[in-house]
Amino acid sequence: MPTDIKMRAEIRRYDPGVDAEPHYETFEVAGQDNWRILDVIRSIYERQAGDLAYQFACRVGRCGTCAVKVNGVPVLACQERCKPEMRIEPLTPFPVLRDLVVDRTEIEARYEQHAYAPQRKTEYAGGPEAIDVKLAEHLCHMGSCLACMVCVSGCPAVEERAFDGPAFMLKLRHMAEHPADSGNRLEQAIDAGMLECFGCDLCTQLCPADLSPAQAIREFRRDMIFGGSKKHE
Amino acid sequence: MSKATLPRNTTRQAEGMQYGDVARTLHRFSGAVIIAFVLVHVIVQAVRHVPVFAAANAPWLKTVQEQNWVHAILFFCIAFHTLYGLKLLAGELGFTIRYQTAFWGIVGVSSLFALREMLRYAGI
Repeated sequence: MPTDIKMRAEIRRYDPGVDAEPHYETFEVAGQDNWRILDVIRSIYERQAGDLAYQFACRVGRCGTCAVKVNGVPVLACQERCKPEMRIEPLTPFPVLRDLVVDRTEIEARYEQHAYAPQRKTEYAGGPEAIDVKLAEHLCHMGSCLACMVCVSGCPAVEERAFDGPAFMLKLRHMAEHPADSGNRLEQAIDAGMLECFGCDLCTQLCPADLSPAQAIREFRRDMIFGGSKKHE
Repeated sequence: MSKATLPRNTTRQAEGMQYGDVARTLHRFSGAVIIAFVLVHVIVQAVRHVPVFAAANAPWLKTVQEQNWVHAILFFCIAFHTLYGLKLLAGELGFTIRYQTAFWGIVGVSSLFALREMLRYAGI
């Protein structure tokens, strides 16, 4: 049975049109110990700060829209349990539109720039294409990335170096292993800073979809050493 | 779940240890310790064996060198830095080790080297 608890949430507030600098506002919230961070944020929005900007959609950890930083760790707000003391911040290193909402324009531009659709040598003939079952399963799993940017926000290499981030590497690897794709994804990955990755696996630990962008990067690096990227060839 | 991921509680992500962060920090720290040791070693040899520096022969150097914790930290750092570096290399050559297993394995083995030094000084 859930029990009643008192929580203290410190939220980073920033409205570029009004505030000169971001500041933290503390809220006391009465709730239950099975609440998620999103429940806490919604409660604050409903009862204490109607001007608080935040976003969410599915509430079941499938859309990645509600990603925030809690006590310095990027998480999905709809999945992470509430804590007695918590500091809630927008995802870094993205520009903040307001409060907990980040500007995803650059993220979308990078997805577009990397062309995450199979680049075919010949025109699509139409109809289903034969594919190995195991490979299809593998590609399906890799394709389940939520684009929540939790891995990018947690990545120390993104913070320190010119590196697009683990999520983009995973998508590039997805394409590199796709039988219909003929693009040079390894070169794209190198251009996007793949060699800057520390290999720390923090992205693997944080990924809400149980994916491993670090493994995708290791596979690209292995391809650099031994050559070849298409497992099915 | 891929071969590199681990089953975990996604409702408590912000509470657990961030293995990658700790491993990376330790890797950098151990690297810095090794560099510092080599630098100090070179200076000590100069002070002790080059006649020009003979006057500066510091009597406390021997005492510092004989501290068990200095050797324990040094051996831990050398072992951790080497093993973690090999783990990164192995990953790129196609041998995947799960991050949690690798971290505790490397910390464990490195601690054995540190422990050996402590025991050696204790005469065990």
